[in-house]
Amino acid sequence: MADDSNRIEGSKGLFWTGVTVVYAIIVLFPIFWMATMMVKPNEAMFARPTVWLFTPTLEHFEYVIAQGFHWSLLTSFVLCLMSTALVVIIGTPAAYAFARFEMRMKDDLFLFILATRMAPPVCLVIPFYFIFAKLNLLDTFLGLTLAYMTFNLSFYVWVLRSFCRDLPVELEEAAALEGWSRPQIFRRVVFPLLRNGIVATAVLCFIFAWNEFLFAFMLGGKAVQTLPVSIPKLITSQGVRWGEMAVVGMTALLPVLAVVFVLQRHIVRGLTLGAVKG
Amino acid sequence: MTSVTDTLPATAAAPAPRGRFWYPYLLIAPSMITLTVVSLIPFLYTVYLSFHAAKFGRVTEFIGFDNYLQLLGDGRFWNSMGVAAIFVGIAVPIEFMLGLAGALVLNQNVRGRSVLIPLLFMPTMMAPIVVGLLWKIMLAGSWGFLSYNVLERFNLIGETSAFASPDLALYALIFVDIWQWTPFMMLAFFAGLQALPLGPYRAAAVDGANPLQMFFHITLPMLTPLLVVIGLLRFIDAFKVFDTVYILTGGGPGTATETPSILANKMTFEFWNIGEASALAVLVWLAFFAFCNVFYQVAKKRLNAF
Repeated sequence: MADDSNRIEGSKGLFWTGVTVVYAIIVLFPIFWMATMMVKPNEAMFARPTVWLFTPTLEHFEYVIAQGFHWSLLTSFVLCLMSTALVVIIGTPAAYAFARFEMRMKDDLFLFILATRMAPPVCLVIPFYFIFAKLNLLDTFLGLTLAYMTFNLSFYVWVLRSFCRDLPVELEEAAALEGWSRPQIFRRVVFPLLRNGIVATAVLCFIFAWNEFLFAFMLGGKAVQTLPVSIPKLITSQGVRWGEMAVVGMTALLPVLAVVFVLQRHIVRGLTLGAVKG
Repeated sequence: MTSVTDTLPATAAAPAPRGRFWYPYLLIAPSMITLTVVSLIPFLYTVYLSFHAAKFGRVTEFIGFDNYLQLLGDGRFWNSMGVAAIFVGIAVPIEFMLGLAGALVLNQNVRGRSVLIPLLFMPTMMAPIVVGLLWKIMLAGSWGFLSYNVLERFNLIGETSAFASPDLALYALIFVDIWQWTPFMMLAFFAGLQALPLGPYRAAAVDGANPLQMFFHITLPMLTPLLVVIGLLRFIDAFKVFDTVYILTGGGPGTATETPSILANKMTFEFWNIGEASALAVLVWLAFFAFCNVFYQVAKKRLNAF
């Protein structure tokens, strides 16, 4: 607890709690509204004035399942798991090395990692499209997994580096004096201490991959169709299927919501202090 | 904890029984190779394409800087840069102010933070495409909740939908961006406030400083590195905006909301003018890289931010 908290009276604390709750209700109302649209009959959806009470229906869910959108859900899940696992395997040693060792051109190498995050994804999707077309990687899991590395690997190394910096170096030195080898030290000392940081950072990478749209849309789309990509496909020539969009949208939101609730502290830290202390 | 590793020279921090020189390079090699393959090579390929005439997906001949000259003489390119400048210039400062104010509120004795923080954080963690969908629903012409109950009832705009008007569409997108990203700023700054040491506040309280003085003389200076970096991150991300614009307006009406990302995408996958799209990508990329390189050096020296 930093500054004012210990000087503020309880009643004032309640006032600010009230302010925060009101703010949260206003900000979250659109999400609540979309949630109700999952079970809202079409007539009620377009009614003027706005209808608050209606008989729930499952027709939107039925259509979504009939169209095979659960396959998009599975695709998203497999793809995100694959790319995140690869990022963890490749990125963890690098994050550790950047935090612990002195290297020639260390700043330049690290800047290279940061620089790969600077480009707008749309600038990357152009060369990817043509390279992948030549290598037959369009619309494949491998292609998208590789493409996702462009934004997640650099983020992972960047954030995990600050978690590595927080580890007390004395334990590693003690282990070295015992005559342990470097891989032993990493496996038995560093890794157990770093586990929480790895999980939190990996979860963020999973969410970024889960939310990604452009690469999945341009480089995949048919055989490998992720959940976000399936949303615009509900804008059909017969009109927009709003209820079905709400179902898919909320489905995409739920895992993220669950993760945020469970890992909130690590996530805020990973996104902010991790990036800042870099 | 940090202080321990920071005060020791990094070489002393590395217990090195053998292979001191090559070991760290071995650790970073997989990442460097991967990033070379997925980032550097595509970038170089973009540079290659930008110097070639390429129509309908086929590279034909080397034409030097023609694509760049074409682009720099194209009003649509400058329009997209202007759109992005307005978008970033309005959205990011508002997010910054609201985020800081929100963080200060949250740092009071707010109860139930463990529930409130994840709830407040939801917009930021949502897929941009779902955010777009959400606001498509709220702002849909005639039946959208906000369109009907607020905009139409109080006759705030003359149109049926904010996205139908060239003047309003961009501001509607800015509104959506503020909705999505203010929570990020707020929680980043809140985390920063929580990490500040108590000592200076106690000393100031003894000296009889009021809360306003404490904010300007203690909180703000100590928070500066965080404010700068978070502001920069948001600046970069806002400039790259694609998904929400794509689903909400697709760059329209006309070119009113056509950001560089949307324009590059149209040039590539609608007009198949790959050479010019690549030139656009290279220009944006170089501008970003130059900006970040300078910023990194300055922030590292002056603000101790990285």
